[in-house]
Amino acid sequence: MGPGNLFSRLAPVLALGAILLSVSLAQGQSSDRAKQVGSKMVCMCGCGQVLTECNHIDCPVGPVMLKKVDQRISSGESDDLLLQSFIQEYGEQVLAEPPAHGFNLVAWLIPGIAFGAGLALVIVVIRQWRNRTVRRDLAPASGPPISAELLERGRHQADRETDD
Amino acid sequence: MDLFGSFALLLAFLCGIYAFCAGIAAIRTRKPLLIKSARHAGMAVCVLVWIGFASLAYLFFTDNFSMAYVVEHSNRTLATFFKFPAIWAGQEGSLLFWSFLLSIYVFSALFAYRKKHPELMPYVGVVLAGIQLFFLTLNNFIASPFKVMGMAGPGGVLQWVSRGDGQGLNPLLQYPEMIIHPPVLYSGYTGFSIPFAFALAALLGRYPGEKWIHLTRRWTMIAWGFQSAGILLGAHWAYAVLGWGGYWSWDPVENASLMPWLTGTAFLHSVMMQEKRGMMRVWNVWLVFTTFLLTILGTTLTRTGLVSSVHAFAQSDIGPWFFGFIGLGFVVCLVAFWKNRDYLRSDNSLDSLVSRESSFLFNNLILLVAVVAVLSGTLFPVLSEWVRGTKISVGAPFFNRVNLPIGLFLLFLTGVGPLLAWRKTSMASLRRNFGGPLAIGVVAGGVSVALGLRNFYVILCVILSVFVTLTILLEFYRGARVISARSGSNLLFSAGTLTMRNTRRYGGYIVHFGIVLIFIGISGTAFNQDKQMEMPVGAQMDIGPYHLTHQAFDTTQETNYSTEKATIAVDRDGQQMIMLYPEHRFYPSNQESGTMVAIYSTLKEDLYVVYAGRSPDTNQPVIHAYLNPLVKWIWLGGAIVILGTLLALMPNQQPSFALRTTEGRVPVPGSPAMAPISVSRYESPHE
Repeated sequence: MGPGNLFSRLAPVLALGAILLSVSLAQGQSSDRAKQVGSKMVCMCGCGQVLTECNHIDCPVGPVMLKKVDQRISSGESDDLLLQSFIQEYGEQVLAEPPAHGFNLVAWLIPGIAFGAGLALVIVVIRQWRNRTVRRDLAPASGPPISAELLERGRHQADRETDD
Repeated sequence: MDLFGSFALLLAFLCGIYAFCAGIAAIRTRKPLLIKSARHAGMAVCVLVWIGFASLAYLFFTDNFSMAYVVEHSNRTLATFFKFPAIWAGQEGSLLFWSFLLSIYVFSALFAYRKKHPELMPYVGVVLAGIQLFFLTLNNFIASPFKVMGMAGPGGVLQWVSRGDGQGLNPLLQYPEMIIHPPVLYSGYTGFSIPFAFALAALLGRYPGEKWIHLTRRWTMIAWGFQSAGILLGAHWAYAVLGWGGYWSWDPVENASLMPWLTGTAFLHSVMMQEKRGMMRVWNVWLVFTTFLLTILGTTLTRTGLVSSVHAFAQSDIGPWFFGFIGLGFVVCLVAFWKNRDYLRSDNSLDSLVSRESSFLFNNLILLVAVVAVLSGTLFPVLSEWVRGTKISVGAPFFNRVNLPIGLFLLFLTGVGPLLAWRKTSMASLRRNFGGPLAIGVVAGGVSVALGLRNFYVILCVILSVFVTLTILLEFYRGARVISARSGSNLLFSAGTLTMRNTRRYGGYIVHFGIVLIFIGISGTAFNQDKQMEMPVGAQMDIGPYHLTHQAFDTTQETNYSTEKATIAVDRDGQQMIMLYPEHRFYPSNQESGTMVAIYSTLKEDLYVVYAGRSPDTNQPVIHAYLNPLVKWIWLGGAIVILGTLLALMPNQQPSFALRTTEGRVPVPGSPAMAPISVSRYESPHE
């Protein structure tokens, strides 16, 4: 039996092995990818949970959606295409987070704007308070000398102000 | 008993009107008898609400199925244990429960200060009566739990009927934690009414000084403690019952409980600025107002279905009432503030940028940004629908991404803030207090990278957790060392003495340590694993270091439900660790199902096993197993937060006098050897 014959006899076995390997690899990949893509969507049963986390008993929607994800990944669809097909079917609501464009950008910007505005406010407040302290320190000392009673009261106040 | 209960509530409503009106008249006329009368009416409202609530409880425990509310939320076979959560399982009962808890606070406040603060208390009584009136309006006229079952009889005359059995309780609520979670969380929500009432009263009555702050400190801490415990219990319930492997999903109802907690936390910190320095009066008043209004917004979100939630068990068209109340409350606060804004004027001044005052400003800024982020994310779907006509989802990925950096910055401030001195902190003090902990924190971060950690936020969390823990330990050590040197007792005992001498300060540090543990627990989420497969009896599954074997599968019939239960043997390194029994229950009374998750919990990780039902294709049991690292640290941290809060609520122990004697000498009165040894209070070096 020549090498050509051996190859021709083994070819179907090798082909079958290759197919099985590729299918099993594809299944492994699709499972991981399905989780990754599924985590970008919410279950449309109304629970509002991320698709891969929706675990309601007898949920009529989640398992169907996950199966579709698996099928589309198996058929070689890219993540973007897959998400687009779900958006077409369920609307933009299927995405777990608002896409960062158009009006939805507002959702992403609000915390940043709040932080920026708050920080600006804190800086202005600190400046005002600092200026007041400087003015107070620059003001010439006047009035009668401090009595022992006043000094004691001051000590008590300092004590109170530093006990926490 | 139904008539008795509804009559008690109606009477409470009338008394509430009297307490409110008589209170206003008393404020105007200053007649002592009228003040007393309004107070007594306020207290009577509370007693009548208790009677109303007790009546409803009685109807549940006696299986009175002539009442519509009892029919909807209970049945004869429901375990007595679960008749408690059934009381507040629906809209009507939970609103009455709110009134009930609120009335406990109101009665306590009116009784505790009945002979004190005569200038302030009439205002407080009016504000509290106003809040109670709103809820009593709902209890009596909008969502009464005392509606009877009826049907048209001969001639169209309505006849009372009694059902043989009820529809049963939602399976998700048939879990022991549901007996304590709602009362604890509601105690937090309702508790914030007291500081709100005092703040508004002080503003309306132009009550001098910071007295209202001192009066409400403990009330605020009690409410905050309940809110913290309630949130954690809710998270634990979600973890143990919902069966999705997590404890926090940024659900609108979860967010609703978090928001007042965040503003309450900001208030607990910034209030110290007012106490110590007379600063931030306007800010503090608005923080209290916001916290109260957020508690009402929270319950509004739960009930109105404005945003969808898995936790919203009681939805109806009650929304306009709540929005009306929030609007009215805001207008009252705004008008009171505007008319009395000069009363809140304070002489704010800052000696140094590096000071406790600055750290509190940043702490408040970050907490408020967190509130804005959570609130905007929660309500953005509604906004989107309103503006574009398209509803979108804002789920956990959004909130995690936005709030993770905010949370870590707060953790950083938790370590930094307490060690900065009031007014000014020198650079030498900064180096002394932070140098060591920061260096060790960075080393810990380096070690975690060397061990294979690659997630940036987790590494940052490790660094900050070590840093904050060390700063807290150093504070205890320094104080304990001084006491130990003076009293001769060991360091551990001295640390206890130190804590009891300034419970607020050291209780606060313990709370901070609890928060650190919670952060450590949350960071474990980055390493979660899960696996789901069909597992007929005899099948095996490997997840992490655990080997699971499905040993048996039983179907049993219990009194109130039928159950399918898998018996899973868990091995590790060839040794049997534990047997787990995940269940799937079916409740025929309301045709609903529920899970009972089986959890093997260690400090390192939780093995979390869910029986996810049968496969539709093969009818074989499906097991979903999760490996969730460090979850136990969250519950442990929560317990420490509560412990710290309780400690901070305790009064300070006064230092006792003792005589220090020199060995071999008899102390002579008046001599230096006879010195009081623990009189001098410990001061941080930087102070």
